[in-house]
Parts: sequence; structure tokens; C-alpha cells
Amino acid sequence: MALLSETTNADTPARGASSAPSAWQTWRYRLKIALREPTTLIGVLTAVLFTYLIVVPIISIVLDSVRVQFGHERRLGKDVGDLTVYYLDRAFFSPVATDLFWRPLLNTLTVALGAISLSLVIGTVLAWLISRTDMFGRRWFATALIVPYMLPAWTFALAWTTLFKNRTVGGQPGWFEAIGLTPPDWVAYGRFPITIILALHYTPFVILLFGSALRRFDSQLEDSARILGARRYQVAIQIIMPLMRPALLSSMVLIFAKCLGEFGVPYVLGLPVKFEVLSTSLFRSIASRQTGVAGVVAASIMLIGIITLMIDARLVREARRFVTIGSKGSMNRQNRLGKLRLPATGFAAAVFIVSVAMPLLTLVLSTVMKVPARFTLDNFTLDYWIGTDLHTVALQTGILLSPDLWAAAKNTMMIVGLASLVSGVLGLLVGYVVIRTPVRSLSIYLRQVTFLPYLVPGIAFAAAYLSLFAVPRGPMPALYGTVTILILALIADQMPYASRAGISAMTQLGKDPEEAAQIAGAGWFRRMIYIVIPIQKGSLVTGVLLPFISGIKGLSLFVILAVPSTDVLTTFSLRLVDYHYTQAANAVVLIIAAIAYFGTLLAQKLTRTNLAEGLGS
Amino acid sequence: MPTINLRGAQKNYGVNAANAVADLDLEIRDGEFMCLLGPSGCGKTTTLRMIAGLENLSGGEIQVGERVVDSVQQGIFVPPEKREMGLVFQSYALWPHLTIERNTDFGLRLRNLPKAEREARVERVMQALDISKYRDRYPSQLSGGQQQRVALARMLAVNPGVLLLDEPLSNLDARLRLEMRAELKRLHNEFKTTIVFVTHDQWEAMTLATTIAVMNEGTLQQMGTPNDIYDRPANRFVAEFVGSPPINILTFGKPGISDIADKAETYFSKNYPKLRGIGSIGLRPEAMGYVAKQKSVPEDSFSAEMTVTGVLPTGGSWILELRSKNHTLFLTTHALPRIDSGERVFVHAPPEAMHVFDGQGRRVSEADTVLRKNTYN
Repeated sequence: MALLSETTNADTPARGASSAPSAWQTWRYRLKIALREPTTLIGVLTAVLFTYLIVVPIISIVLDSVRVQFGHERRLGKDVGDLTVYYLDRAFFSPVATDLFWRPLLNTLTVALGAISLSLVIGTVLAWLISRTDMFGRRWFATALIVPYMLPAWTFALAWTTLFKNRTVGGQPGWFEAIGLTPPDWVAYGRFPITIILALHYTPFVILLFGSALRRFDSQLEDSARILGARRYQVAIQIIMPLMRPALLSSMVLIFAKCLGEFGVPYVLGLPVKFEVLSTSLFRSIASRQTGVAGVVAASIMLIGIITLMIDARLVREARRFVTIGSKGSMNRQNRLGKLRLPATGFAAAVFIVSVAMPLLTLVLSTVMKVPARFTLDNFTLDYWIGTDLHTVALQTGILLSPDLWAAAKNTMMIVGLASLVSGVLGLLVGYVVIRTPVRSLSIYLRQVTFLPYLVPGIAFAAAYLSLFAVPRGPMPALYGTVTILILALIADQMPYASRAGISAMTQLGKDPEEAAQIAGAGWFRRMIYIVIPIQKGSLVTGVLLPFISGIKGLSLFVILAVPSTDVLTTFSLRLVDYHYTQAANAVVLIIAAIAYFGTLLAQKLTRTNLAEGLGS
Repeated sequence: MPTINLRGAQKNYGVNAANAVADLDLEIRDGEFMCLLGPSGCGKTTTLRMIAGLENLSGGEIQVGERVVDSVQQGIFVPPEKREMGLVFQSYALWPHLTIERNTDFGLRLRNLPKAEREARVERVMQALDISKYRDRYPSQLSGGQQQRVALARMLAVNPGVLLLDEPLSNLDARLRLEMRAELKRLHNEFKTTIVFVTHDQWEAMTLATTIAVMNEGTLQQMGTPNDIYDRPANRFVAEFVGSPPINILTFGKPGISDIADKAETYFSKNYPKLRGIGSIGLRPEAMGYVAKQKSVPEDSFSAEMTVTGVLPTGGSWILELRSKNHTLFLTTHALPRIDSGERVFVHAPPEAMHVFDGQGRRVSEADTVLRKNTYN
């Protein structure tokens, strides 16, 4: 025995089996393992699908911007499809470039910066009050102040016009106008209201991100500084702030990216005074069939979006360096506010009233009042909801009795529902393949390609779809005006959330339960049916529900891709806004808001998680 | 049950990465209780997963009985579900959506056994592991120890020829761990399965295994019985890894670094002039003794005068820390030490307690024949 133990020592004699395998043998062995299970096959199929649904449209719109478009052959003296710098020149350097690109860009940037500053100031204070103080009703505020985020941003834009609309625009006057106080244009439309509304809408971002960073903050770090003699303000400036910086920067960048693609708010509030941002400028180019210029603008929006989110990715990586391990000290230590307790609560309540209560109340009231701002009993009516024989040109019944609403609701349910279902299932599949495939490059490609739409604002993505699918290409017929294009675009647009949900669900599951089943003798299909799908039931439901909610309140994709026959609730209400059926438009928006709000609550309940993790939808 | 053979098994993650397992030859015979022992990251878990088929090879082959189940050269890969082995995961990996009974029953259902037989076998293992009272509960409702039993039961139910265990006791508290060790030993006798057990805990390996394979940095350092490993460590790594407090090493050929080592070198050249090329020697703390006077040092023993700098009780035994001018030694004793810090004593070690290694750290077996002539070998 003793001898044996010594001969098994490091230097081993030559053996036939252990001579290094040839490259061909290694390759054959790897291929055999890769193809043993359907994982790789599914991975390849989904990779092809997403290349077609995500990468190709983006390439297509970028190409549009440098190729002669239909109708310009004469002017440019070239054939359709030839390379040209005409559109770049027109968008960036021509006399109309200011209107097409530069002023919208400037407006976008200033609105975004204004919204960011305002929401940072309000948001950080609120986050701190909610997570680290003894303010009254913290728990209630923690949920209540997030509500603006669950509602479509242009809900607030409509509430704003309901209140402040002046005689610059026809139709029903705003409440202030109606009682004789004409608001000036700068209050009613343009930069000021857009900035305020975006700030209020994105403040929850800051509350969620900054708040969760504050809660995770290890109070032992704070205590150590205090023990060494630092005063409260010194602790705040030297310890807490530097550690919070990544969270703050990250929420800034996210808000910026969101503002970049925001369409509804500037459309409703900017149009009357010709206040254009990049997204509305893009919309105008598309509406006036300037596909080449639209390509340039869309590509620019994408580029800015991609740069911004790369900065964010970098910041997140940076933030990981600061992750304080060990949550022992991260209990919810509260600061006593003392005399400031009541004023602080008042501040939170004021923000709630301005950002949630007032807009919603205004909208609700506006749908039951005949003449704006006259609060007498005979002015109230339910006619706009359930009335018949209204004396209007179109829409002669209350909104709930209008077949158009139900058609739009049916379309919404079908289009958004189907797209969410498909993207939820695809998301889980992608998650499975990304985590499990032995082919690493496939895993990386799938992860990145499904994330790509996140970098591209919805309106630019819609433009890309239009560019690719508006005309027949190869075996694909022209899809513009069909339900299919909407569903495809929605699926692609929702893939970032769906695939992220799938990947994180599969990561959390780990490979142990599945490997245990494998050891027990279960092949791939049995493992799927008996182990993976039953365990992932919950994430599958949220993987469908979250895209559904964001799809319901989504506007920018539909506004470009939908036509009257494929009207969904959002475009329907926008059309009502255009035709100045204020009450009806507001009613539809309230319906959307209600669906989005209760859907979010349901999703939270199902996953027992906070919204903070699903941020960004 | 068949013998498992690993021949030149290799695993690396990525082309340029260091080998997680490098050119490993291992034979696991029928009925053996084999422990893969080594520090974390030494490749022991990877080896276990390669045997199970959860990790594919980068080179070499694995044979179970007459059947090659995995070979890069021959392009053979038998998937885990067809290898008929059992594996208990470190995390237990119980299926959270199935009851304890369904967890245990899972493998049997897959084998399409008749209901009556399934029930009988589930009953038998649940009885054997004392978990039948939890049959309708879900894994999250059980404690760590109970979950561990379920994980074992689930694998034993299908009566696998080989049971692989990946640090199954590391998540248990000390008392439960002791109980489960006894349990495992009992199961090994009762079910007559071959067991391959991965651990970084030397006591676990010593108490359970019939054979221990010590691994480091992806290579096999030594394979042998627990006594072999402890009494005849094949190299310095094994000597230093096994044993607590660790073995005292005296490095030769570097005069002035350690006065004790210099003294030992003199001792060797005087008493055993034929032994050349000694790189270092190792002295187990419990193989040494101490006396107050030089004349009480046993004949032939190596001895050195040192100062007691610490007396550390460990409950039932004591660790003495001893210092000379530039060397620190540890010594354990089971008799109450009647000395205090600061006292000077003579530390001594008999020749048969000395482990001799060459310049590369390999055991010099020739030295054993010379030094251990008085003991059974």
C-alpha cells in the first residue's frame, strides 16, 4: 500500500489515452455536446429571429439616411438606393437644418436637463425622507409617490391642457381660461410645462434608485465615522454622498434616455407653439414622407441613446466597486426629524397632490363636466361616459358606448396581449439558452441583441420598422397598416425587459435543480416540463405582465406604426385630442391609466417584489 | 458494481485558462468510500462533476466498468441522465415545487416502475433516513439537516451504483455534521454503493474514507488509505495540508535562516551520513515531546532547546508554542503541561517520526527504511 501511494505521484508514465487530443477530435467532441440537447438549436433559431427583428431594421434605417429615397431621383440625379449625403447635409447643414435637427436637439437637451435637475432635487429629498427618517406616513408615501411612474406620462400632459389651455388653440378652453384668467402661452405650452411634467413623471425613478441605495447603505460605515468624531454634516458630505454618487448618476442617465424618446408629452404640449423636440421632429419627417431625413434624425436619436446608456453601464460597473458586502448593518436606521417632522410630511403631501392627486382629479372632473371650470350641479353629467345622442359631429354617444373605444380596446388587448405573451415566452427561452448553452458566443450574442432595443428610443425604433417593413422585401410582404408590424415591433421593443427577466430568473434558479433532475435520469424535455417550467411559473407570468403594462401605456411605437384600422387605446385617445374631444380623450386616458396602475399592482403582488427591480419599463 | 477509471482527464475553462483539472488518473474501485480532498479551487468538485457527466472533458477519458462514458478522442459522451449515478449537491438542490415524497419519487417515476414498487422503495429510503414524517411538506419547510437527508434519500431511492457527494456536510452545524457522518458510514455499509465524496475538511475525509485522494491545483498529489496519507505523506503539500496544527517543516541547506533547521541538519549528517539530498524534514506536532533537562532526552532523538511562548488549551489536549532565536514550532500534548510561558525546555523527536522530503518536496522513501527500521513497515 505504501509503495502504491508513492507511485501515484505527480510524474506519470506515458499512457495512450491521455496523449493530447487533436484539434479535430476536440471539435467533434464539442459539437457532439453542443448538439446533444435542443438548447443550442433553440438558441440559434432565436438568434436568427432577433437579428431579423432587431438588427436588420436598425441597419435599414441607417442605410436610409445615406441612400436616395423614392421621389428624390430627379432632384439628386441618381437612382433610388444610390449612396448620397443629401439627407445628412439637409438635416445637419442646410438652411432648414435648424428647424429639422438643431433646435429640436437643443430643446430636447434643455428639457431633459431641466427635468433631471428638478426631479433630482425633489427625488433625493423624498427618497431620504421615505427611507431614513421618521416622517409621518412613510410607508404610504413610499407607494403613493411612485404612482406617477405607473401612469403614462402624457396623462399629465392632458391634465395640464385641461387646466391651462388658452385661446391660442381652438376647442374647449382650459379651466383658467374659462374663469377669465388667460394663462400666457409659456405656461400653457412648450418648454415650461413639458419640463415640469417630465420632472414629475420621472421623480419616482430617483426615489426608487436613490432610496434603494440609501436602504442598502451599511449604517456601520456611518457609525464608524461618527465614532471617530465626524459631525452629522461631515458624515453626509464625506461618507454618504460619495457612496451614493453612482446611484444618483445612474438615475440621471436613465431619465435622460427616457426624455430622449418621450413623444406624447411634447406632442400634446409642444405642437401649439411649434416647440419641437427630436422625437416630434422625427414624427413630422415621417408624416411628411421625408424618409431620408427621418433616417438621419432616427439614427441620431439612437446614437445619443446608445452613448447615454453606455455611460450608464459604465457607472453601474463603477457602482459595483462600492457595493458594501454584509448587510448586517443595513438596518433601516431612522433620523429623527423633530420640529421638521410636520413640514417634511407637508412637503411629501404637496408633491403627491401636484404629481398625482391634482392631475387625476382634473382629468376625472373634466370627463363629467359640460363647461370647463363651472362647478354647479347642473354642469355635471355622465353623458361623456354613458350618454346617447350627444350633439357632436362624430362620437355621438358616451365613450363607453362608442364602438370605436371597444374596437380600440379589443385591438389593444389583442396586439399588446399577443406581443407580451410571445415576448414573455421568448424571454424565458432566451434566459434559458443564455445561461445553459455550452456555446459561449451564442450566449453573448443573444444577451446583447435582445438588449439592443433598450438603447434605441421607441420612436426611432418604430421609424426603423417603418423603413424596413413599409415595402415588400424578399418573401416578406409590405406590412405597413397591418397588425403584424405592430406585434413584431412590440415584441422586439419589449425583448430587453423580457430577456432580462428570463436571464435573471434562470440565474436565480441556478443549475442545481436541473442537474439534480438530470442525474435522476430526466432528459431535456422532461426537465423542462417537470422542473424548469413549474419553478419558473411566477417569472413567466411577470415576464408577460410587465411588457403588457408598458405596452398598454406605450405611445411612440403606435403613433408611427398604427393606422385607423389598427387603432389602439393610446392612438385612439391621441386622435380624440387632435379632434378636441377633450372629455372623451381624457376618459380614454383614465382607462389606460387604470389598467396600467392595477396591472402594476398585480405584478408587484405576484412577484412580491418592489418596482425598483423592474425599473425602466 | 463497476470500477470507475479516469485516464488523463483534463478540464480547462477557455483556451488559455489554467487547467482546472490537469491530466488526472484515478481509479475508484467497487464498494470504495473515496474522498477527494484538497483546498478550495483544487479541482475536486470539477472531477466529481466530470464523473457525473455534468462537466465535459477537455481531454482524456472516463470509463465505468467496460463502458467508456466520456472520451474526447473517441468522440463519446454519455449524458448524465444515462450514467445511472447519484449526486448529492452541496446546495442539496431539492426541487422547491415538489413535496418531499415527490422529490424522493422523481427518479423512480422516470424509470417507469410499477406503482407498488415505487411506493415500497420510497418508503424504505424515507424510513432509513428518518424523513417519512415530512413526506407532505415542501423543501422550504425543512431545516438544513432534514433537507440534506431528503437529498440523500432522493438519490438512494433509485439505488445508483455510484453515489457522488459534493461537500454535502459543509452547510450543517457541528453536531449535525457528526451525526450525518455516522449516517453516511452506515449507509455505505447498508446500501453497498461506491461513494465518491468531495470535501476540504481533512477530519471528514479521515473519518469516512476507505481511500483518500489528495488534490492540489488540478493534479492528484497522493492516493491512499487515511493512515497512509497521514503517516506517509507523498510530498510536502500533503504533509502540510493534512494535520492540525500543521506539521512543522525544517528547511535544509539555508544556514542562518533557522537555528533549529541548522541543528537538525547537523543531527542528520552525524547520525545518518548516508542520507543525502534532503530538502526539508517535517515533524508532526504530536510526534514530538519535551523535557526539562537535556539528559532526559531519549537516545537517538533529535533535540533542541527552546522557550515556551504560549500554552493553548484546546480541551483535552494542549498546543505549546515554542520559540528559539529565529524559529517557531508547535507541539501538542495530551498530558497537562506543568510549565509556564518563558520556561526553557528541550524539544525532542524520535527518528521514526521524521518525514524526509527532497529538494522538490517529494518524500524520500529511502529515508523511511533507514529511519523507521524499528517500527512496522
